[in-house]
Amino acid sequence: MTNRSYLGEFELMLLLTVIHLGEDAYGVPISRELELARGRNVSVGSVYAALERLEAKGLVESSLGDPTPERGGKAKRYFQITKEGLRQVRETRRVLTGLWRAIPDTKMDLRMEG
Amino acid sequence: MNRREPPPLPSWALEHLTSRDRDDALCGDLLEAYHAGRSDTWYWRQVLAACILSWSQSLTARGPALVFALGWSWLAPAWKTAIDHVPDPLSFGRAWQMLGPFWLPFALAGWMALHAAFLWAGLLVYQSAHALAGQPLARKDLRRAFWIATFALPIISAVTSALAAIYHFSWPALAHAKLASTALGQITDPGILPDLIRIPYFLALLGALWPTIPRPRRYLQEPASGANAQAASIDSDTIALAEEKRPADAFRVMGITVGAGLLNALIASLLVCRLLHDVTEPNLSSVLLRALLFVIVAAAGGVIGTYIYWQNPWTSRQQQTPIPFPLLVLVCASGWVWVPSLLIFGASLSAGVAIVAMIGTYTLVAGLRHAAGLIDAPLQTGLSLASPRTSSLFEESLYRPPANLTGYAIAISLYGAGALLAARDDYGAAALLAFAAAFFAWNRTVPRERSLERRRQYLRAAFRVAMILVPAILVTAWALLDGVTLRKRAAAASDNSGPALSGVGRNRKSMVMTVAHGADDYESVILWPVPQKKQIVPPISSPYALFGTDNKQPLVIRFDGPYRYVQPPNKLPGPNVHEARGTPLEFDIHSSNSLPVTMQAHQDLFGSIPVARCREIDVEIENRDNLAGRVSLALLLTTGSSTRGRTIVVGQQVIATTQPENFAFKAAPVRETLRFAVPSSLPAERFGGFTVLLLPDIEHTFVAPRIAVEQFEIFPR
Repeated sequence: MTNRSYLGEFELMLLLTVIHLGEDAYGVPISRELELARGRNVSVGSVYAALERLEAKGLVESSLGDPTPERGGKAKRYFQITKEGLRQVRETRRVLTGLWRAIPDTKMDLRMEG
Repeated sequence: MNRREPPPLPSWALEHLTSRDRDDALCGDLLEAYHAGRSDTWYWRQVLAACILSWSQSLTARGPALVFALGWSWLAPAWKTAIDHVPDPLSFGRAWQMLGPFWLPFALAGWMALHAAFLWAGLLVYQSAHALAGQPLARKDLRRAFWIATFALPIISAVTSALAAIYHFSWPALAHAKLASTALGQITDPGILPDLIRIPYFLALLGALWPTIPRPRRYLQEPASGANAQAASIDSDTIALAEEKRPADAFRVMGITVGAGLLNALIASLLVCRLLHDVTEPNLSSVLLRALLFVIVAAAGGVIGTYIYWQNPWTSRQQQTPIPFPLLVLVCASGWVWVPSLLIFGASLSAGVAIVAMIGTYTLVAGLRHAAGLIDAPLQTGLSLASPRTSSLFEESLYRPPANLTGYAIAISLYGAGALLAARDDYGAAALLAFAAAFFAWNRTVPRERSLERRRQYLRAAFRVAMILVPAILVTAWALLDGVTLRKRAAAASDNSGPALSGVGRNRKSMVMTVAHGADDYESVILWPVPQKKQIVPPISSPYALFGTDNKQPLVIRFDGPYRYVQPPNKLPGPNVHEARGTPLEFDIHSSNSLPVTMQAHQDLFGSIPVARCREIDVEIENRDNLAGRVSLALLLTTGSSTRGRTIVVGQQVIATTQPENFAFKAAPVRETLRFAVPSSLPAERFGGFTVLLLPDIEHTFVAPRIAVEQFEIFPR
């Protein structure tokens, strides 16, 4: 387990969004979903930068769609989660869930009051 | 209804100001979102963020290249100082004499090779680091990097030099900048001059490494189509062809590998010799220890250079060469161990450099010839002992010896080397002797038997290296001791000739003095001619009485004043001037920094002479300068003391014996007389001395001309 690297917050959000969107996961809907979830603007450029990082790690893969006129003849790049990506999302959820369960509700309440 | 279009400026920026590593999907996404109702402000913000992110990603990906280029170029001042000693002005003069204007392309090619070698070594180190990290650079990218580095360096250097020349005097820190005298000092110096040297190397190396970034995976996975597919097919064919073990390829690969090792051994030796070769108190054990260290460093440098090339993943050399790497290293080590002594002898301007070059080349080539027997190649005939000519008994009378061009080449090289040694051109002789030794060794060495088992091959090669190591260490120690003797002789000459004279080298039988920096160099120099023997002349009450109105005889004044060498912005020698006895004919004075050297000679008179009585002044000079280039002489009359008086220009003339059409190599001084007519309208009544300025052309910008003033002759009006 020495070579395991856990996902960052933004990366995890991206992977969950890609899973959620399924076959319709490309730049515009991914950014929109993230904006809705986070409640603030998201730069499409940063979404692409993070997705390229994940692609380099082998957690997502991408393919080009057909170019459309409303996009100025530019093709969409669809993203899809890989098996490794899915495994890492599950692993991160397991770890985070375990950590959350280890914290008693009273401690969280005290911190919120403080 | 018309569709809204995004602002044109951010769209243009998105197309052109983002990194080319990105595809068009982002542009399409932003356009789609804009058409879906996003505002112009949103579009601007998104484009700005995309540009920043794109470039930060691009820079991050190239961070290692940036850091490497910065680190490698930091060593550049030491390298430049080291190779500045390579081009001998004498050789340049001869090259100009032989080749005329065609000399320039050769000089440029030589300059490029010398400077680019530093960048090539850097690229090899970078590639090997990538290979060790498991991310080797693509073969095409590396080849392109080599070309970019080679051709970008002269252009960037020219621009940097031009800028430095423009701001030279307006930037005081630059005008007074000087390099440290030691290699370590030059490397660690963060001053303006070392930085100016580093900038071209840094930019050229960065420019070469910039496009070598690994492309994103998806670009590599794009299906090949059309021309790409054809190119891929051709490439695979090329690789398949290269994988065939052809002897010619194996020889070529061996040659390049050996060359890479030799270059690296040279660099390693150059650096270590510059750091450690100054032995002040010779002690046999310390000299032997240093010699051993030098030899080991050279061999280690050679091993590293060979290994780097051997491990190049884009060549698969190890698959093409039937000689295993350890055996190749053992063979080549017999040549690398001679490199330090070669360099030390070279620094001492000793003829030993030619002998060592010959021995080193012979041992290296003979070893390679031994090893070449392992390659399945047809052996060369001619002098080769491996393929004796077989003929029947009665054919012998009709046998005609084959024309052996190799033998002629060797003989001519030996004659040429002898002539060059007699002319004291050690480097030229070294090159010719090495050439002859290489031919001789290749033709007279019996190739090793292919059937010999590998273990015995290793044992033989190791024994051979061990046998060569001892003489190599002894010769290196001899070179070190020779250097010590030279320094002692220089110190003795210093004691005899005046205060604080300590040469930093030797040019034939004269001292080399460097107008520059550090403990061994001087800010300005004054040369005082050695006084002539006292002449018994009839008593003359006042020599200038000759300038009475009734006298028409010329007055001859032998020059016995000082020659002054200064660097701008100084016009006169400063308080720390170095004074020595001698004339410019004996000394080779040059600048070791970026400032030019100016030279002037001054003669004070014992009284003053009326200007109106002078019709003409002849200046007789002796020229022993062997740099091809035009030098002018300006004659000035001084009305007061040599340092504070007013000067009046009489005239300026080109020295005829320095003109390219009259240029000839001068083994002995050539006399020349320059005649200056004195106008009667000069703005002074009397003068008390002469000042002669030698105005250099570009060839003499950093080297003072070896021209001495013999005498002045004044003709009365």
